[in-house]
Amino acid sequence: MAFLEVVEKISFFDLKTNIDNGNIADLFKEDCKINVTSSGNNHLVLGDSSGQVHLVTRSWSVHSFRAYELCTDHLYQLKNSSLLVTIGQDEPGVNPLIKIWDTNRLDKNGTPHCFRVTRALPGNRPVQVSALCVHENLQLMALGFVDGSLMLYRGDITRERSSKQKLLRDASSTVTGLAFKSTSSNIYLFLATDSSVLVYNITHKDKEERIHLDNIGCAKRCCVLAESIQESHFMVGRNDAVYCYTTDGRGPCYAIDGEKVMLEWFRSYLIIISKTNRPTAVNSVSNGNQSSGLQGDSITVLDIHNKFIVFSATMSRIKAVLNEFGSFYLIDEENRVYHLDEKDLQSKLSLLFKKNLYDIAIRIAKSQQYDTEGLVDIFKQYGDHLCNKGDYTGAIEQYIKTIGKLEPSYVIRKFLDSQHIEKLTMYLQALHKERQATEDHTTLLLNCYTKLSNTLGQNEGLKEFILSKDSDLSYDVDVAIKVCRQGSPSEALMLAKRHEKHDWYIKLLIEDHQKYCEVLEYISSLNFENAETYMRKYGNILIEKVPNESTQFLKKLCTNYKPRDSMIISENALTGNYDLPHHAEPEDFIHLFLNNSERLVEFLEHVIEEGSILTTPVYNTLLEHYLHVWTNSQNDRTKWSQKILKLLQNPDIKYDKAQALVVCHMHSFGEGILYLYEEQKLYQQILRHHITKNDMNSILACCRRFGNQEPNLWVQALWSCVRDTPNPPQALLNEILTVIAKERLLSPQLVIDALGSENTDITVGHIKSYIMNELEQEQGKTAEITGLIQNYRKDTDKLKKQLETLKSGAIVIQGSRCAACHHPLELPTIHFLCQHSYHQHCFQSFCDEDQGCPACQPENKNLLELLKAREHNRDLNETFHSQLEKAHDGYSVAAEYFGRGVFNSYKDITNKAVKKLIEKKDEEEISRTLIPKVEKELRDYGYGAEARLRQSEKKPSQIIPPISEGKLRQQETSRYGSSLKSNTNFDKKKDVYTSNIPGTLNPFESDYDPSNNPFENEQEESEDDTNPFRDNYECDKNLNPFS
Amino acid sequence: MSYAYLFKYIIIGDTGVGKSCLLLQFTDKRFQPVHDLTIGVEFGARMITIDSKQIKLQIWDTAGQEAFRSITRSYYRGAAGALLVYDITRRETFNHLTTWLDDARQHSNSNMVIMLIGNKSDLESRREVKKEEGEAFAREHGLVFMETSAKTAANVEEAFINTAKEIYEKIQEGVFDINNEANGIKIGPQHSPTNPSLPGATGSSGSQGGGCC
Repeated sequence: MAFLEVVEKISFFDLKTNIDNGNIADLFKEDCKINVTSSGNNHLVLGDSSGQVHLVTRSWSVHSFRAYELCTDHLYQLKNSSLLVTIGQDEPGVNPLIKIWDTNRLDKNGTPHCFRVTRALPGNRPVQVSALCVHENLQLMALGFVDGSLMLYRGDITRERSSKQKLLRDASSTVTGLAFKSTSSNIYLFLATDSSVLVYNITHKDKEERIHLDNIGCAKRCCVLAESIQESHFMVGRNDAVYCYTTDGRGPCYAIDGEKVMLEWFRSYLIIISKTNRPTAVNSVSNGNQSSGLQGDSITVLDIHNKFIVFSATMSRIKAVLNEFGSFYLIDEENRVYHLDEKDLQSKLSLLFKKNLYDIAIRIAKSQQYDTEGLVDIFKQYGDHLCNKGDYTGAIEQYIKTIGKLEPSYVIRKFLDSQHIEKLTMYLQALHKERQATEDHTTLLLNCYTKLSNTLGQNEGLKEFILSKDSDLSYDVDVAIKVCRQGSPSEALMLAKRHEKHDWYIKLLIEDHQKYCEVLEYISSLNFENAETYMRKYGNILIEKVPNESTQFLKKLCTNYKPRDSMIISENALTGNYDLPHHAEPEDFIHLFLNNSERLVEFLEHVIEEGSILTTPVYNTLLEHYLHVWTNSQNDRTKWSQKILKLLQNPDIKYDKAQALVVCHMHSFGEGILYLYEEQKLYQQILRHHITKNDMNSILACCRRFGNQEPNLWVQALWSCVRDTPNPPQALLNEILTVIAKERLLSPQLVIDALGSENTDITVGHIKSYIMNELEQEQGKTAEITGLIQNYRKDTDKLKKQLETLKSGAIVIQGSRCAACHHPLELPTIHFLCQHSYHQHCFQSFCDEDQGCPACQPENKNLLELLKAREHNRDLNETFHSQLEKAHDGYSVAAEYFGRGVFNSYKDITNKAVKKLIEKKDEEEISRTLIPKVEKELRDYGYGAEARLRQSEKKPSQIIPPISEGKLRQQETSRYGSSLKSNTNFDKKKDVYTSNIPGTLNPFESDYDPSNNPFENEQEESEDDTNPFRDNYECDKNLNPFS
Repeated sequence: MSYAYLFKYIIIGDTGVGKSCLLLQFTDKRFQPVHDLTIGVEFGARMITIDSKQIKLQIWDTAGQEAFRSITRSYYRGAAGALLVYDITRRETFNHLTTWLDDARQHSNSNMVIMLIGNKSDLESRREVKKEEGEAFAREHGLVFMETSAKTAANVEEAFINTAKEIYEKIQEGVFDINNEANGIKIGPQHSPTNPSLPGATGSSGSQGGGCC
């Protein structure tokens, strides 16, 4: 019934008449008529009652040939092969002949090549063939007979020999239809008779299986194998319905009334030709000369898949339905050819749209694999249509299907009216489900929810939306929270929590709900990083609102943080890894406590107790706030001060001392200040602190304590006593003065000056004992110094006498034994002024340096080294200054240095000395054999000159530093008395030097102009044999004047 | 797909009680709120497993309209099970059950398992037929009873599978002649005996199979 209702409305086919220009009709002008038809391989094949076969091409040109003498009964044109199977009669009687033709191979008469001619006789009975079917693989051919027999031919059908025939059935009712069906593994043969439907499984030769499908049969040509994409059915048309069969049994059935004449399958359409009792409708497209009185056939085209009729018409009797050239053709009784041209999809759809049959259109479009854009367009049109009709719910359903392609705003605009809010919500929900929603959509949806819950009390939508999993809906959580916040804060909160938008959650809790403790709870359940971040962000307000809890939390956070819900033993620990405890840097949070010193102190104390090492600023802050608390606290100041001191004294705590000092000062925390001063060795400051406090005992204690480190403290104390205290206690003053006197911190004069200078009540009585002491000491010192002066004078006199002796007296060398070998002296000998004499050879072997007396040499060397060392001591000025500073009596130092000649200009003296020396050298040259004379002359210069000479010998270019006798004396106090002896030693050594090696080791070489060099000539002379020194040098005994 | 048995079902009942929807829910697991009228007989199939045996259910979904009664009658024969469906929100569909049952009993083989189904159990608010009434009717006529909802899929699977179980038990008991395809039972291709003359008792059913011969 439903099929028919649609019939009047739509038609997917255009019926075109007379497309062959009457070509076909021309073929059958006489009494011969079309007996049988087939199609395939680009031909329509018509067999007529005169035995002719006509091949019709697409351009309606006809090729005819005679296949049989009498008539053609059956035709089967293979679809993809040029083979044509015909069954007809060559002779009268029942004598059907199978002929197999190749329509591509025509002989000269235009007759196709005939492969074989076989008689079709089941069991040698002459029976009319009633059905013919050939498998497309050309290996199977089935023949049904009027008596119900079925013949199956296997093997290549074009060859008679290889083809084996088998009688499969021997039954009563006429075979009315045959069809082969191939599946991937099996081949079936459907068979319809007048009274039954059967299927044979003919996959295996000689093992054919018969399955009985139904007890009702069908008329001839009323069965067809419908091969569609989904499933193949063998369709059998009966009067009440079209029944379908599968290889298993019965399938669906389509109730279509009418006596079926013919069933045909075209693409996915079932074409049903049935008899109708109604007179042929005056069809506008059909030929007008149709006699309306004739009984007509109704043609119905069914779309089986979509279950509706796509074409329906009534026309005169249909002779044949031919399916070829991608379309199908009808031939009616009068041999007119009709073409049913299928409309293209677009026009089909537009047809449906016009009729508002959108659901059908959608079905068709889907079944034809219409592209999504096209489908969306249909949905949209359908939606629009429903909208116009007022079926908004239906419309929304359609619009939802367009999500992803159609711009959502198009739909949203239509439904913005508050009446449609539910539908809009539905659409938006779908939009979110499809992950196509933008921020605006989320906002809108949430607003819809809010509105819905306000007006209709439907609160579930929003909750559901919020609680839905991420995978279900995708939306911008931030936006959602923002929107919810305005409408329903609790939902916003839920949303934030659900999506772990900690920031939002905390913000909402704080700003909208003022639930600070919950915030803390929440934060403490977060992992460390988050907790830290959010504490930083919101700590301020939390501390302000819930200081206690916040502090507790911060303590935890900064020491050993673990999320509240985390396992007691973390997985890491279980697996053996060391679990690093997290802790935040306390300094990041200090600023939070700005106005709450007590909390801060509590916090920091805890942190320090936990043993974490903090940075200097933290300690500084702690100290500062300690002091702050200390200042503010009324009752337990001592407790706090102890705490502060403990902090200050804790060596682990690295606070900035300078800053600590400043802070202590600011809060005038005396104990701290003192501790810090002491710590930094600022004893003066301590003293000053006490002085300002005017605490004499402390001053004294301080001085006593630190006096040995910083003696000046005493002086300071004195000054303070004098200056600041109008009446200093006697004991204090006395002690100070005693120490000053003992340590010689200040000259008595200054002390007295100091005491006298200020307006104090210090009387002489106060300092009597001090002055007495000082004077006594002074006297003792004077006496000591006087004694010293006398000693020096004595020494000087002694030295003068000795000098005199050396200058004027002669020295008798009386040594009779060689100092080296202790044998009696023999010439040549060498004598030294030190009273040592040597054999020349002894001397040469004994003495490695040829200089000075070997016996005295060690002693002399020591002396020389001392001199040298003194010379190196060049930073005399600095020594002087430092000594000056160190000394109690600066004047004496200055005097001593003056005595050493530090303040003299030494350069001139040196130069003079050198000039004198040069003069004497000249003299020496003249009287070089006269040793005593030389000695005498040299002696005039004293040992100081000798020393200078030595020095210049080593470093001729250098300026000889001043060496004062006083200094020498001072440093060699132990050898003071032996200066005379050393002088003589020097002289002797010089003697050796001058007499033996005057030329080769010229000490003045660099100082002298060579032209002026008195030894210059001598060197030239050294070539001369007569030069006695040359021989001497070579140790020629014969020419040696001493030998 | 290979199967041990193929059971043929038929779904009958007044028009609009949800026969096609039951089928659709069972075969495709979906629900179509708007369903075209069934013209003739529709057809669906699904594999199920009972007793670790693959069983193919072939289900004919018939048109409930009186006009198609003659067509659907021809389908009773050859069905091993029938789902007799009424709509709990429409009493007249319940009232017609007797007619349907008579029809079924008359045209089917006597062993056919019939299950009575009260559909649309999701529409509790519009219920007109009490569950107890359905149960009473089923008891009276020796049917299995179940209330289902094709919309929510409640009990849909169970309805089909329980029917299949019942059929299977009957096979085990030897009530059905499994070689007679008119009974609506077919042995799967791999289970069919090589020699068709022997009774089809194969595999596990062998012991009981003797009873049917």
